[in-house]
Amino acid sequence: MAFTNTPLAWKNLTHDWRRLIVAVAGIGFAVLLMFTQVGFQNALFDSQVKMIDDLQGDVFLVSRAKYTLAAEKRFPLELVNQARSASGVSGAYPLYTELTLSRLKSFGMGAPSKAFPIRSIGFRLDDPIFNSDRINSQLQKLRLPYAALLDVRSKRDNFPFPTESDEELAKVQAELADRKVVMVGTFDLGTDFAHDGNLAMSAENFAEYFPQRKQFGDPLSVVDLGLIHVGDKSRLTDIRDTIDQLLDDRVFVLTREQFRNQEIEFWDKSTPIGIIFTAGKIIGFIVGMVICYQVIYSDIADHMPEFATLRAMGYTTGYFLRLIVMESVLLSFIGFVPGLLASTLLYALLANSTGLLLQMTPLAILMVLALTIAMCIASGLLAVRKLLAADPANLF
Amino acid sequence: MTAFASLPATSGAYSQGPQVPKTIKVSQLNHYFGEGELRKQALHHNNLEVKRGEIVIMTGPSGSGKTTLLTLIGTLRTVQEGSLKVLGNELNGASRDEIVGLRREMGFIFQAHNLFESLTAFQNVNMAAELADMERGLAKERIDYLLNRLGLGQRIHYKPKSLSGGQKQRVAIARGLVHQPKLVLADEPTAALDEHSGREVVTLFQELARDEGCTIIMVTHDNRILDVADRIVNMVDGYIRSDVAVHETSVICEFLRQFPLFSDLSTSTLTDVADKMMVQEAVAGDVIIRQGDPGELFYLIRSGQVDVVIEEDGLENKVAELGEGQYFGEAALLRDEPRNATIVARSKAVFYTLGKADFKDVLARSKTFVDELRSVLASRT
Repeated sequence: MAFTNTPLAWKNLTHDWRRLIVAVAGIGFAVLLMFTQVGFQNALFDSQVKMIDDLQGDVFLVSRAKYTLAAEKRFPLELVNQARSASGVSGAYPLYTELTLSRLKSFGMGAPSKAFPIRSIGFRLDDPIFNSDRINSQLQKLRLPYAALLDVRSKRDNFPFPTESDEELAKVQAELADRKVVMVGTFDLGTDFAHDGNLAMSAENFAEYFPQRKQFGDPLSVVDLGLIHVGDKSRLTDIRDTIDQLLDDRVFVLTREQFRNQEIEFWDKSTPIGIIFTAGKIIGFIVGMVICYQVIYSDIADHMPEFATLRAMGYTTGYFLRLIVMESVLLSFIGFVPGLLASTLLYALLANSTGLLLQMTPLAILMVLALTIAMCIASGLLAVRKLLAADPANLF
Repeated sequence: MTAFASLPATSGAYSQGPQVPKTIKVSQLNHYFGEGELRKQALHHNNLEVKRGEIVIMTGPSGSGKTTLLTLIGTLRTVQEGSLKVLGNELNGASRDEIVGLRREMGFIFQAHNLFESLTAFQNVNMAAELADMERGLAKERIDYLLNRLGLGQRIHYKPKSLSGGQKQRVAIARGLVHQPKLVLADEPTAALDEHSGREVVTLFQELARDEGCTIIMVTHDNRILDVADRIVNMVDGYIRSDVAVHETSVICEFLRQFPLFSDLSTSTLTDVADKMMVQEAVAGDVIIRQGDPGELFYLIRSGQVDVVIEEDGLENKVAELGEGQYFGEAALLRDEPRNATIVARSKAVFYTLGKADFKDVLARSKTFVDELRSVLASRT
């Protein structure tokens, strides 16, 4: 069949600007809906792995039983020390966390509040654990007994501490695991599904607060995470493999990337969260499909005699399919651009108001664009049946 | 001797001999609408032949089936019963590809213009040119020519919204003609046009028919353009009531007028006579009528020559030679006598015949007839 040069798809699409605006608004809305879902999902997943992102280290030791960060499955400290002996490793450091025993109670307004669970993070002050300068600059303060840093993003309702001023904060009377605690400063980590707040403290203080972590023995002899630094980052995989062979089966040896993915995969696959967001995306997809179908269908319905005439002239089914797919793809691009702009704006607004980390990543853009094109083509192919019914026999 | 008793003389099928290529050949075509008990026959045993370059006008009241026949010819409906050959292709059982290929050789002009509002006049016409794989420059030239011819030179790049109804219709006509179709099917092409542009359109049709051998079939009620028809097909209730080749009919009428008995008849009566005549063909040596046989037919020689032989006392005497436009066989009919001579074809010949009953019927219309007849016969001997 002859290649046709008259851009009929484009002409028909742009001819009626009122309809085009409705189409663009509708598809833009669907794009926005999908971006919102993708954005929230990414933001929530990012917040689940925010702690991993904030930690230093290239390879992580994680108990095999620890299916998520919030699962309190530990492994012996010796494994960290063993890992340090592997070739290529420049340092290996333990990290302790506690949630079950860690309950923070404040006496701010006279009467004691209820004790709420908060994640306590213990680390040896001389070890390079955190990326955050905000923590690293306050290490001296943490050497004092009872001293801890409070996460400024801890849930306000449960932990109503005056985080704006370190002096005010230090005056507040509080108890952690029924023992006095002094908040000597703040840091910024963030909450996630399992943790409403965070405290950071020295390993020594951590051991004082949670002696029951390990029955009969040193509470610091069981470790939640092992952070391993490698000398030559280009040999990361090799070194990981070496450590893996060196250590026994009680721990996973994971690169940062693997660790992060494992954590996200847990939230995505093993909890309803992934399903909820997938459902949200599907709804956006369907909304877009319905709108797109309406636009293409009414365009076809309004031009039935013209299309029937083309049929009579000898235009083939293939031509009509290509025409509608072309129209769909054009429509998806025209609708995508304003949808993307609106989404970027919405991300900024939501990031300001919720504190969630909403980012317009290239991957998210590509994914939503692909969904939009698929959505438009699918609805175009649904609508094309109407066009193929155009019967030139009724023209005379 | 080969007889074509079912082929009317006025169909024009033999005016240039049977070898002239046929654009359309319809035979025993039936068409039905609906199913089961609601099934209704829309076309009954339609037979029609259209030659290359002919302009055919189809007339008839609405519901007479002319549109159905047009859509069948245009491959827009599936042939159910009978045979329909268009541009050499049998449509009964034709594949989808064959049909698409055929459609591209045809031009359609519908009553509604069916132009894309989003495209300019030029682009609308170009949709047909592109499909025909016309070279771009050539297509542009032809589009410009056609639109100019149809009085749209100033509005080539206007969209339909800025064109009047008649202008839109003319764009649609240009679209139907741009790809040099071999067959144009048009439904009331001039209905939306004023007399001047209507005339321009049919003149264009005539040029295409003459110069490009384009065959044109029009359904129209516009009496102003009947004069361009080479053939007029009249349909009633799904039957082709008459199928008349205009030129051939006028030739027959001229011939008939030479016959003294018919010379006083009006043109309309002569046309009726012509309409009742049938085609008969003969090769050299065929005996057309034999002396002593009962007379059944009146013969008009359309082409070829015959010898008139009278047998007297066992001797055959050739008394005359007759040629194109001459007639024989009337005497036996008039007097209800056996044939008074034998007629033998000298060459390949075509006759138009009129049955005895019809012949007498025509004669009865003229009061002076019998007198006239007698004088004719008297002057003959």
